[in-house]
Amino acid sequence: MEFITEPGKQHHPDCSTLILPALSIGNVGQLAVDLLVSSTGAERIGYLDDPYTLPCVGNDAYGPIPSGDLALPLEAYQSPANAMTLVQQRSPVVKGMMVEYAKNLAEFAAASGKKHVVILSSLEFSRWQKIDMSSGLQIYYLSSSNTDGTDDFCAKLGWRRLQDYDPTQRTWNYLSSLAQGSTMHESTLPFEDEPEEEDYCASLPFAALFSCLKAKGLKVTCILCYCSEGDNMADSFELAEAASKLLQLKPDNFIGGDDGKWCIPFSWKTVYGPPPDLSMF
Amino acid sequence: MEDVITEIPPPSRFFQEDLNNFAPPSQPLPSPFLLFSDPKTEPLRPSLLIIAISPPSLYLFDNLCTKTLIGSLILPEIPFSGNSIEPTPADKCCNIYELNGAANLTLLVSLKCPVSAERFNIVAKLLVGKQIIPERVLILGSVQSQNFRGKLSPDETYAFKLETLAERGKGSDSGASSLLEGLDYFPSGSMVDGLAAALLSQCQMRNIRGTLCVSWPDHGSSVVAQVRSLLQKNVLHGFDLSSSAGVEDKHLRITQIKDYPFDSELYT
Repeated sequence: MEFITEPGKQHHPDCSTLILPALSIGNVGQLAVDLLVSSTGAERIGYLDDPYTLPCVGNDAYGPIPSGDLALPLEAYQSPANAMTLVQQRSPVVKGMMVEYAKNLAEFAAASGKKHVVILSSLEFSRWQKIDMSSGLQIYYLSSSNTDGTDDFCAKLGWRRLQDYDPTQRTWNYLSSLAQGSTMHESTLPFEDEPEEEDYCASLPFAALFSCLKAKGLKVTCILCYCSEGDNMADSFELAEAASKLLQLKPDNFIGGDDGKWCIPFSWKTVYGPPPDLSMF
Repeated sequence: MEDVITEIPPPSRFFQEDLNNFAPPSQPLPSPFLLFSDPKTEPLRPSLLIIAISPPSLYLFDNLCTKTLIGSLILPEIPFSGNSIEPTPADKCCNIYELNGAANLTLLVSLKCPVSAERFNIVAKLLVGKQIIPERVLILGSVQSQNFRGKLSPDETYAFKLETLAERGKGSDSGASSLLEGLDYFPSGSMVDGLAAALLSQCQMRNIRGTLCVSWPDHGSSVVAQVRSLLQKNVLHGFDLSSSAGVEDKHLRITQIKDYPFDSELYT
């Protein structure tokens, strides 16, 4: 993975917190990063050229009036006021190369001096085993702070550690060994044909990122929420707000519009397709 | 009727393998390479590199007589069987031509073979930035309806562009104008993927002046006329891209039928 600085831009070493989306149901992590970039006025400083990311291009995603600024699959933004770097991922990873991609991203994070990496991801609602809606949408987390995945600050925020995390569980263990450099062969997969229920979380992209970043000795926090696929904008607001609380971002450092601190990206106007053709009525 | 409560949820925006760390990768393939009839140790440095991917652009350049075959992009997974010794429109290959009569060295890549998703990045790097280092790149692709967030009428033609920073003149003092001046930018919220996207991404990252022009639909004399007009007005002044009307309509009909094969699952 090569980092290419955009002409005229520079990398701020003080932006040592890195926010990454993990591919997940409803694209919630990616939508949350869109929201954070748009609302903090983060400036694009460069691109990541990775052989395992499928290509895509588009017009400026943030607006307010897109002027032809090219959007690429992996872009790096920085907000010096918030001391944070954000990487937005717009396209999937080549089939079967998620762990390699995660290793590349971890290498980039370590080499560029990042101290804390925050991964934003969603989990499939149908997999939620103990539903508790008493306090609204529950945020879950997974941290590298302690061996069991807990973190005192996250607990104080009222978040719950991901129930399915067990570092000794076969698939989490296998992922950890891959992240540390073991060669992967089909015959060494911890399950025979199809993964079982216990293998689900560790098979998700956020787990690969968590394991590879942790293997680099970086502090990693995954922020997770359960959702179903549909209009997931509301879920992305929850995740973005959670990231804001974790990093204790100041409201003054947001450039939100009439609705408060959040500024909705221009590209969200058509994220679910064009409006229906009313002429049929 | 299926039980909506207990049945498997509808397809996701992601394929299952996109969200599976342990999905088996595709079989590794030998690297693609460029083969030139007159190999040189130094890279080729054309003033303009045109890469034709969309069916209308491929059709136009198939009929252009003032070009000389100078090389090919070889994808080892694509068989040569069925191809002719001399290039013909029906060949499945990726040939590289030099356009005769251009004021400066102008190369054309005519991509008429399928490229699999995991090959997009490596093919793009092969065509732009190593053995071929162009000053300017024009990629002719298609609007992909599955990635377009606006309305696309089958009865109308559309053309949009996307440009690199270098082409838009940002960060440079050249003040040179855009290659496709006056053409609307691709709407925000819609995306282009595939080899066209990989090529434009490489241009952006290597600070090369690059333009992607996407047209819609893929077939029909109207869109061919639109792409022809864009090329003759902005890019290839003085080049004759015309063909006889009867030949054009016949070829476009055959291409349309070939690209939409009979779906036998309807009758299982």
